[in-house]
Amino acid sequence: MTREQPTTTGAPPGLAGKAEEFSGPFALLADMTRRFADSLELTPALVTALESIVSQVGAEAGSLWLVEPAAREIVCEASVGPSEIAGLRLSLDQGIVGRCVRENACQSVLDVSKDPAFAKSVDEGSGMVTRSLLCAPMSGADGAIGAIELVNRMEGDGCFTVSDLNVLEVLASSASLALANARMATAAAEHKRVQRELELAAEIQRALLPAVDSPGFPIHALNVPARTVSGDFFDFLELPGGRIAFCLGDVSGKGMNAALLMAKTASLFRCLSKTIDSPGRLLAVINDELADTASRGMFVTMAAGIYEPETGGLVLANAGHEPPLYHPREGGFEPIEALEPPLGIATGLLPPEGYPESRIELNGGNLFVFSDGLTEAFGQDGEQLGAAGLERIFEEFSEASIHDCVEGVMSRVSSLEHRDDLTLLGIEDSRASATRSSDSVELLLVHRFEAIAKELSGMRKALAEALAAAGADESIRTDIVMAVDEACQNVIRHAYSGKPPGDVELTLEQRNAEVTVWLRDFAPPVDPACLDQGRDLADVRPGGLGTRFMKELMDDVSFAEPPEGGGNLLRLVKRLS
Amino acid sequence: MHHEVREEGGTVIVAFEGEIDLEHSPKAREVLLECVGRARPVLVDLSGVEYIDSSGVASLVEALQQAKGGGSSLALASVSPSAMRVLELARLDKVFTIIASVAEGLDGGA
Repeated sequence: MTREQPTTTGAPPGLAGKAEEFSGPFALLADMTRRFADSLELTPALVTALESIVSQVGAEAGSLWLVEPAAREIVCEASVGPSEIAGLRLSLDQGIVGRCVRENACQSVLDVSKDPAFAKSVDEGSGMVTRSLLCAPMSGADGAIGAIELVNRMEGDGCFTVSDLNVLEVLASSASLALANARMATAAAEHKRVQRELELAAEIQRALLPAVDSPGFPIHALNVPARTVSGDFFDFLELPGGRIAFCLGDVSGKGMNAALLMAKTASLFRCLSKTIDSPGRLLAVINDELADTASRGMFVTMAAGIYEPETGGLVLANAGHEPPLYHPREGGFEPIEALEPPLGIATGLLPPEGYPESRIELNGGNLFVFSDGLTEAFGQDGEQLGAAGLERIFEEFSEASIHDCVEGVMSRVSSLEHRDDLTLLGIEDSRASATRSSDSVELLLVHRFEAIAKELSGMRKALAEALAAAGADESIRTDIVMAVDEACQNVIRHAYSGKPPGDVELTLEQRNAEVTVWLRDFAPPVDPACLDQGRDLADVRPGGLGTRFMKELMDDVSFAEPPEGGGNLLRLVKRLS
Repeated sequence: MHHEVREEGGTVIVAFEGEIDLEHSPKAREVLLECVGRARPVLVDLSGVEYIDSSGVASLVEALQQAKGGGSSLALASVSPSAMRVLELARLDKVFTIIASVAEGLDGGA
């Protein structure tokens, strides 16, 4: 590395005094600090530092030692002098350098023969004769990380001086900083690499969960991992004949081990559920497979079942999992208890037919399967929710479709303090949801136009075409077009009355056998009561008929919450059958 | 919207074609009131009308009231199903004289 070195080429302008170059120990320290800051590889810089201080102080030899805490040893990283001792290991209890590190304090020994701590083995190995020693620790936030040692002062009386010690101490501090930085950089790079791999693993995990279910599908599930990867999983897949196999499991432990076991269990389920018709036997086969191969002490709790949307009935088997809750349409909750152990602990505990199965008729109700992360989340009172707390949250969403219910409950629970993965799978009786308005909304048309009479003909044409494409028969098309036309007239004649006309935005949506037209204008808010002021039809006068028409032609006409950014939003609903 | 006015045997016949909606109803109103102002029986031929809205119906109502007030009459002929739907909705199917065709109106001397 090369770099401009302004500190040795003169002082910046504006400073008083004559520019002087560093000399002696200062030059050495300035030079070494710069080298440390510049080095990408630390070891050559440390060797240079050692060489410089040995020659500066006039020592016969020098060595640099690093602590290996796990082994309780110190290792010579670099040495300068007549013999090479790099790679030499000493116990932390040995030698002057060991004492220096242990006490995290400088050591100055004038005659090593009088210090019992001196490790004679070093001299025996190197063939050198050590007389005096100077040793300074290199320390980080957690104590000594190493030491620099100088051996035998060659000049003067052979004794190291206080100024030698000062220079050595400053150099050791500078080297400590450089070492700590280098270690932090290595740790950060490693952390980044692990994080990248975790994210990759999480992506693979997400791919193992079933793809987004289609609108109106009777099962919906969500997983919110506590960390990057999750130990929870769920799955559902359609079997021949319209039945749906589903499962939800929770692997003991968290992190990478749990995630890998989760991946294995989920794969087994997906593969086996296509051929094994009974959830109880399926769990038994997975149990045997996991018990044979899973690592010691890890297990999986899991509920698995097969749902028949046609009849609303399902078969459920439970291997040690949090009891699923059946929520009848009339209210209340019935836990489906598990009496059998989790998967992966031992084989041969079960009868040949596998885990016991329960048959449940949904009868218009819902079934919820979830991981204990939900019941163990903390409520506002600081107490764990428990089954009772969770049931109260389910109740709030009992009128919603299963999709909205699962999304709503999960959004509520994940906003609470929780420590574990959260996973929830809900099943609804599709026969009940067919009569309930589900959220399978299809957008049929968005038509925006200026609120002037000339634009109405084009609007009617676009609306009629979109309705025809949606399969609405002619008389219904005519009615809807007329009602919307009347609503647009109200916008033109009343909402924008006396003002330059703005736009009207028409949105046509279909939700099962019902279409909704949203009519949005950007005029000042109108009084919603204007819808009640349609003229009495017995009163034969021109004008005032439009509002009555709308109400007669549609199943529902009402103003919705004013949209953001002002204006009015009118909702017109018509059932197609 | 197009319109055509003619007189036949003392009856004013006004035929509309196209859409009588908010854009065109002011014109329809003007035409109708002019016809009614002739103080003769008026026959409104709606056979070519594909669409009529409340503002169109309002124009017809106003013309009917003017005609009656002037001691004359106004009848609707060849009302298309969609126009009929609007009249029914407004409960005006009993208020207007509705005849099958202009020819029938002329024969009957409306």
